[in-house]
Amino acid sequence: MLRIENLKKVFGKTVALDGLNMLVQDGALYGFVGPNGAGKTTTIRTIIGLLTPDEGSVAVDGVYVDQSPKKVMSKIGYVPDSFGVYDNLKVSEYMEFFAACYGITGLKARKRNETLLEQVGLYDKADFYVEGLSRGMKQRLCLARALIHNPLFLIMDEPTAGLDPRTRYEFKEILKELCAQGKTILISSHILPELSEICTDIGVVDQGRMVFEGSMEEILSQINVACPILISIAGDQSPALRILREHSQVETVTIRGDDILVGFRGDKKDETALLQRLVEAGVQIYGFMRERRNLETVFMQITDRGGEEVVLSYES
Amino acid sequence: MKVNPIYHQESKASARSFKLPLIVLLFNCVLAAVALLDMYSMISQVRLTAEIQYSSFLGLYVFVAAVEFVLLLFIIPGLTGGSISGERERQTLDLMLTTRMTAAGIVFGKLAAGLSTVFLLIVSSLPVLSLVFIYGGVTMPDVGLLFFCYLVTAVLVGSVGIFCSAALKRSTVATAAAYAAVLVLVAGTIVVSYLAEGFDEMTALSGSGGAVWPLYLLLCNPAVMFQSVLIRQVGSEEGLAVLTPLIMRIRDLELLGGHWWGCSVLAQIAMSGALLWAAVRQVTSRPRRKKKAAGL
Repeated sequence: MLRIENLKKVFGKTVALDGLNMLVQDGALYGFVGPNGAGKTTTIRTIIGLLTPDEGSVAVDGVYVDQSPKKVMSKIGYVPDSFGVYDNLKVSEYMEFFAACYGITGLKARKRNETLLEQVGLYDKADFYVEGLSRGMKQRLCLARALIHNPLFLIMDEPTAGLDPRTRYEFKEILKELCAQGKTILISSHILPELSEICTDIGVVDQGRMVFEGSMEEILSQINVACPILISIAGDQSPALRILREHSQVETVTIRGDDILVGFRGDKKDETALLQRLVEAGVQIYGFMRERRNLETVFMQITDRGGEEVVLSYES
Repeated sequence: MKVNPIYHQESKASARSFKLPLIVLLFNCVLAAVALLDMYSMISQVRLTAEIQYSSFLGLYVFVAAVEFVLLLFIIPGLTGGSISGERERQTLDLMLTTRMTAAGIVFGKLAAGLSTVFLLIVSSLPVLSLVFIYGGVTMPDVGLLFFCYLVTAVLVGSVGIFCSAALKRSTVATAAAYAAVLVLVAGTIVVSYLAEGFDEMTALSGSGGAVWPLYLLLCNPAVMFQSVLIRQVGSEEGLAVLTPLIMRIRDLELLGGHWWGCSVLAQIAMSGALLWAAVRQVTSRPRRKKKAAGL
């Protein structure tokens, strides 16, 4: 659905995008994450044609943004990080206005508005002024507005920021429903646990570059491999430390009281071999398991510029 | 026929708000008060001297028309100065640009919305202006010409407001800039022309003759156009008296072969077109790069 190649954008002396590549498959729910200033919003604004890149190309459904911007716009629904609403209009009027902006008028517009307002749970608020809607309702109205022209691709910039947990849950359910309807969705968000729950793919951007991109399954398997092993030992730790120091797959060893935290490169088979070797050496082990990490931990690890090098160290 | 969505939405919103009837009411109250006071003073004069001067009724027409013109100059920048910057502040401009709406569609929709309010003001003032028909001296085509003059002024001043609104981020700054630009357009060109005239007199005394080019600046001045229309209609030199010497000079010099008024209309329409084109360019290029550089 979306292919970005070598995207570069510089604002004065600031490099916002530095050769960003990105691929969003049809029907994916793509989580676009990165620290503040990483270039997420610049990327999104370039995709929707509000910014012109200095270099590189953006193609949506095979159509290049710089060649046919309006054609690309007809394929994209955009939900910005702000609401972008008119307080002095009624909900139905707001929808009618944006429908007219897409050239949809009359009965067709009315039917489309009703369907969308029902989908986002605002059908009974159609005659309410936008001013009187809650934050969550305004966000849902924004989503309905973005879907008015039935786009294939929905881009959302921080859609759940500032919403309460219940509204966030409802919003997530709507997104899942849209995805089930065949829409491709790109969400930029900082709420990583949420992304890991709903996204099928993830892209981590940092300093204008894509530092990780892949499916959620891939990232989760990498997370598990990268997690340290926690070994709980009863009694003397020195035989265990000697074995670990000599082991070629051990990268770091940290002592935390009775426990030893081992940075270990290897799969489950290698883990079993290590455990067996420790037991055979007479080490009294009462706990041996990989630490569980989530998307947030990985995000911190990937975007931590000071800790990019793994150093074999023995800390206590 | 498809109506511009922005014009449609703005018209709906303004028709619903209390602001529009309030503007219409105040505008007509001021006009009516001015007209009735002027009429009262004329009738008092008649009572005193037992002599009816029909030319004073033409003076009433000129006075009311001039007050209306000045009111329009005050109202139009306020109506258009925050139009596009307001969309930017609400962050709806980007949303519109991601639809099928073009930058030109947005700019013309905003101008049309502003002009429709001005048109309403002009039409609503017709009863007050029609007071002059009681005594005669002014015909319907004269009033039509005056309305045309108002319309050209509204387009020019509206375009100034739209341009300021497109070029500047904040509505308050854009509106203030629109008022300043109108002031420069109206008063600035007059000041320059008077200075040039003074210089001209000095050089004439020294025998080298003076430049007339600063007078051509007045082609873009809606007040000069308005005054020349009034002079054409009533044949006297009443109205915005400060302009009369300049207009007399233009007439004496027979600038533009005596077609000053028509050339002035064309110049102002061309200037409006240029300002609207520049506004479209501003909306398309969205000059917010510095901010984005900080926020990415």
